[in-house]
Amino acid sequence: MAFSTTVFQRKYIKRKAPRGFLKRVFKRQKPHLRLETSSDLLVHLNCLLFVHRLAEESRMNAFENKYGIIKKEHVQAAAKITKLSTNFKLGTTNLGTFGLHLKKLTFRSYYKTRFCELLVSHFLREVD
Amino acid sequence: MKKPRLRRVDTFVQVHSQVKVPPKPGYNHRNTLLAPLSSRVRTATPVRPCGSLARVDLNAAAGRRRLRLPQRLGGGWLRRWRSATIATASLRRARSCGACWILRIRIPRGDAGVLELGMAGSCPSVAQKALLETPSSRRLSTPTKMNVRRGSHRARSIGRLAHVHTSGNLEEQTPRTLLKNIILTAPESSIMTPKSVVKPVPTPQVVRSSRQESSRGSLELQLPELEPPTTLALGLLAPGRRKQRLRLSVFQQEMDQGLPLSQAEPRGNASASSLTSSLSLTFASPLQTQSVQRPGLARRPPTRRAVDVGAFLQDLRDTSLALASPGDSLRTPVATLPTDTVLEDTQPFSQPLVGHSPSVYHSLPFLSHTEAENSERAVSRRTQSSGSRLQNHNPGKPAQLLAGKAKKIDVLAVSLPNNSSAISGEDGVEPLQDGVGEEAEERMEESLSVSEVMGSTGTQGSVRTEKSKGHGEMTEALEAKEPEGSSEDEDISGRTASPELASSTTEFLQARRPQFLEPAPPPSTTVLSSEPLEPLPTRHHPRARTHGPRPRQDPHKTGLSHYVKLFSFYAKMPMEKKALEMVEKCLDKYFQHLCDDLEVFSAHAGRKTVRPEDLELLMRRQGLVNDQVSLHVLVERHLPLEYRQLLIPCAFSGNSVFPAQ
Repeated sequence: MAFSTTVFQRKYIKRKAPRGFLKRVFKRQKPHLRLETSSDLLVHLNCLLFVHRLAEESRMNAFENKYGIIKKEHVQAAAKITKLSTNFKLGTTNLGTFGLHLKKLTFRSYYKTRFCELLVSHFLREVD
Repeated sequence: MKKPRLRRVDTFVQVHSQVKVPPKPGYNHRNTLLAPLSSRVRTATPVRPCGSLARVDLNAAAGRRRLRLPQRLGGGWLRRWRSATIATASLRRARSCGACWILRIRIPRGDAGVLELGMAGSCPSVAQKALLETPSSRRLSTPTKMNVRRGSHRARSIGRLAHVHTSGNLEEQTPRTLLKNIILTAPESSIMTPKSVVKPVPTPQVVRSSRQESSRGSLELQLPELEPPTTLALGLLAPGRRKQRLRLSVFQQEMDQGLPLSQAEPRGNASASSLTSSLSLTFASPLQTQSVQRPGLARRPPTRRAVDVGAFLQDLRDTSLALASPGDSLRTPVATLPTDTVLEDTQPFSQPLVGHSPSVYHSLPFLSHTEAENSERAVSRRTQSSGSRLQNHNPGKPAQLLAGKAKKIDVLAVSLPNNSSAISGEDGVEPLQDGVGEEAEERMEESLSVSEVMGSTGTQGSVRTEKSKGHGEMTEALEAKEPEGSSEDEDISGRTASPELASSTTEFLQARRPQFLEPAPPPSTTVLSSEPLEPLPTRHHPRARTHGPRPRQDPHKTGLSHYVKLFSFYAKMPMEKKALEMVEKCLDKYFQHLCDDLEVFSAHAGRKTVRPEDLELLMRRQGLVNDQVSLHVLVERHLPLEYRQLLIPCAFSGNSVFPAQ
């Protein structure tokens, strides 16, 4: 009901999100998972921001080397930097997450460590 | 309940058809209208709604039975025509015609005949009214009403009606009327029998033709007869073309029979198919008409295929002609050779190669002179390859090599074609002829590795080399080299023979060749196998090609290109194509990482569905979302309004929030 009350001034969206494409990609990668409707758009937003950052970085690289055209090397360097900054792959920063958990559970773990180290690890696993 | 009207009305009309009517197939209303005048009176049970004309015949039959009159009378065609006219008239304007009012009238027995007369008289008028629908006819119908009642002026009225309606009928020629006329004038059996399957097929064609012609009913009979042959001819072309396409495989298989046979086959088949399939014509002719009316809708593939075959045949003929003239200048055989060789490349069979062989032989000496030119190289390679291919097919008859070119051609014709061997032959010939070192190596390697010819050919090649040595003739030596180079798989003898041959023909070949040939033997087969594939795909590309990975990659790339375009937009600078490809790769990796992260997050939450909360967490981890910058802010900034409404919950009237939280 709320949705129908709104009336768009234009009948087409200028920059549509390729929702079908995104869903297909996700299904190919993780067929056992499902992607929700709204999250589809947020994925698109994430992609936009990533591409934005990548473009900015590559542009800066090209400017630094005083090139009028963005070259492959600029893009490569930019990609490296962007990927590092985005902290992809939880595995790279797993320690950080565990650390957070440890901080939360220091009080409990303190008591647990009194008795056994394994119990602490077990507890951590439960939390995860 | 509605039974087929034709039958019903037929019986009805039969009541009235006791009159004498001229059995002319002409569409003459006057006569037919006048006919019912003399019909006898029958009782007619009143017909309540005019739409139920179908019941008229029942009433007529009832009346007949009452009066104990004979049931059916003779005179088939007119009855049928009448019934058909009435049927069609009733079908069309059962309710709208004013004449129907006449039927409703309850008339006492005395005027029963008049009533029926009026009906009969009005029905043709109805039939014509259906065509015209003029107020004049309606006006006339009312006088007919009056006449019916009076029963005195019926002749006049009917005559007037006939006058008007005949003229009107003649003016308007709709497909429906034409078809109706055809049906009426056609013999009874043809319509009623189950053989109508054949009839309806030509009748639509006939209708179409009549429509085009827009001729009168009497003439239409002749025209449809003429039209089907033309449509047949048209239809023939389409299946003929299709058959021609199919014939390619047959044609290739029967290459030994000769070109003229293959040419005659498709034509013969096309003609044969016309007789057999009448139904297929209906499918063919609509296509033709469509293409004629709307050229944009015409299908392309058939024309493409037909051209291929025709062009191919023509080229073959040209090559044969070119072969026939050996005394041409240096350039002409060379010039023709590229086209020929292109054809040859596509043709795995020996038949065309046989024709090419003399030209190749001629070209070889010419080519040897022009080896220095780079432009000639490709041609020479091709020609040599063709020549080598020809020679490849001559494994078991080395004696003929010595005999002469003409004999060689015969031998080649006999030999079986072999794609791989041919290709390897090409490759083998190329290094021998050309001075390019690396290419020569590769080609030689190809010829050695790819060729699947029998191992005996190697020995034969060696024999040939010896013989060629003995003769020392340029062409023979070249020929011997070619087969030996091409047919050998990994025979050392062949390899040794080739350098020997090269040495023997140093007049024409460069000294580098033996050097290149020697290191050729220990190659990497993979490298070689890849190279012969290069010419192969290019040749077989016009033919059926498996499109396996193509549809899978295309939508993925088109989706990625969306983001690549955004990248180029955000960069605000011109970009290289390589850079764009790099961006694509980055995006691929990015998507993989994204999916993995989302999986972890959703699993952490104990879910199997990725929700917006997971996405928010991801962006938070990426550093895009802080305490200062929230997700909603980003959504507002970067996404269009429509998506923002879907994502950010907003309060609406009636204490409702969308999207629901």
